[in-house]
Amino acid sequence: MMGDLAVLQDVLVYWPEIARGLASTLMLSVIITLTGLIAGIAVFYLTLSSSDVCRRAVQGYISIFIGTPLIVFLFLLYYGLPQWGIKLTPLTVAVLGFTLNVAAYNARYMTTAYNGLDPSEIEAAKAQGFTSRQIFHLMTLPQVLRLSIPALTNQAIQNLKDTSLVFLIQYAEFFAQMQEVALRTFRFFDVYLLTGLVYFILVSVLTNLARRAEMFADLPPASRHNR
Amino acid sequence: MALLEVRHLKKTFGDRAVLDGISFDLEEGGIKAIMGPSGCGKSTLLRCINRLIEPTSGSILFRGQEVTGRDTDVRALRQMIGFVFQNYALYRHLCVLDNVTVGPRKLKRMSRREAEGKALHELQRLNVADLRHSFPSQLSGGQKQRVAIARALAMDPAVLFFDEPTSALDPVMAREVAAVINQLHSENVTVLCVTHDFELARSVADRIIFLRDGRIRAEDTADNLRNHYDDHEIRTFFGPGAAPV
Ligand SMILES: Nc1ncnc2c1ncn2[C@@H]1O[C@H](COP(=O)(O)OP(=O)(O)OP(=O)(O)O)[C@@H](O)[C@H]1O
Ligand SMILES: [Mg+2]
Repeated sequence: MMGDLAVLQDVLVYWPEIARGLASTLMLSVIITLTGLIAGIAVFYLTLSSSDVCRRAVQGYISIFIGTPLIVFLFLLYYGLPQWGIKLTPLTVAVLGFTLNVAAYNARYMTTAYNGLDPSEIEAAKAQGFTSRQIFHLMTLPQVLRLSIPALTNQAIQNLKDTSLVFLIQYAEFFAQMQEVALRTFRFFDVYLLTGLVYFILVSVLTNLARRAEMFADLPPASRHNR
Repeated sequence: MALLEVRHLKKTFGDRAVLDGISFDLEEGGIKAIMGPSGCGKSTLLRCINRLIEPTSGSILFRGQEVTGRDTDVRALRQMIGFVFQNYALYRHLCVLDNVTVGPRKLKRMSRREAEGKALHELQRLNVADLRHSFPSQLSGGQKQRVAIARALAMDPAVLFFDEPTSALDPVMAREVAAVINQLHSENVTVLCVTHDFELARSVADRIIFLRDGRIRAEDTADNLRNHYDDHEIRTFFGPGAAPV
């Protein structure tokens, strides 16, 4: 265990690297959570397209990304593309790979929520004279987002943990830095334990925020100020 | 001139003619009910007129304008037809006020203030203005139906279509909605009302259209339909002692 404080002292020598790693992890998580959400909404919108071809293409994309491990795609972009003369930075590969992956998952969650909506509201909106685009952004999207909040926030938490993958494509995030510290101090057990602890604390904070978001989105409660 | 003139309207699904040559008029300020057994095409007829369903053939004149053409502005047509559904179909993520204002604001480009003034006026007219901050899930069926009517009226439609407005309501609330429709009629609102409820039809409509198997079998007053037809189908549907449908 981390019984002796010497561990912390040994490790804290490297605090600038650790802090930089932590910042990279948080930045990447925030970026891919936002881009994954926006791209996910766009993908979800396309799944509702009236064009058969478009719908099928989008379903294909979703199936492929949900059906393959992300690391394969990251390696394909980072180690595979240079063979064709295309060299991307680790950050670019990470953002691109995660965005496409997370968007596929988010779109699937939104589709599930959409299937639970009452189609007569959509019909009422059509009958009122709204365009399909207005119906999407005034009726469908607000309801779908609200219903998908638990799934979307779980995905955000997953994103934070999954960013540890990108040390495999030379991106110096938190896990990569801790790896470095472990190698230098030879305190593998302590350092990895500390690493786990930090992830756990970050995830706990995020979970807490997520539950608040869910409570907020739960409005209006059916029970409150009746009539 | 009639507000609405429907001529030889046909709609086929596959090889089945659900509407098989429908012709009728609806006068400005008039109110007609459409009755008939389940599956005879009543909802299909209403949805063909506002092009939620594309008619197969025939003609529909709205204030003298043909509206079945390819170049018809379908959204403009729909904005002139207020549609009230059996299951209310309120937007559940919006409060009562927003349910009523979203159309005027987004379709008629009214400012929020103007739209809210209009909405409050309609909500008051239907006696539900004090519910304006409630959400649909907090309302009773009769209240939801009133809000749905206010939502339709806020668009200043030329005509209101009702598709079985009382089927989901208990008898007391059903009578309330009938009273509301009568009040609208007295305020010169044009109404076309599909219903299974003979009492509703009799209490609101000047004339009842009897639809069966996609055709109009009779169009007359409630009393005449009940008492003065020898036709077997009409007698079983409307006649004295006819089972409520
Ligand atoms: N999209 C569709 N595709 C195929 N058949 C349809 C479709 N819509 C309606 N129908 C058929 O058309 C017929 C008429 O339906 P419609 O909903 O207009 O009946 P209705 O008179 O409103 O019945 P109810 O009183 O039960 O509401 C029904 O037999 C129905 O099965
Ligand atoms: Mg019907």
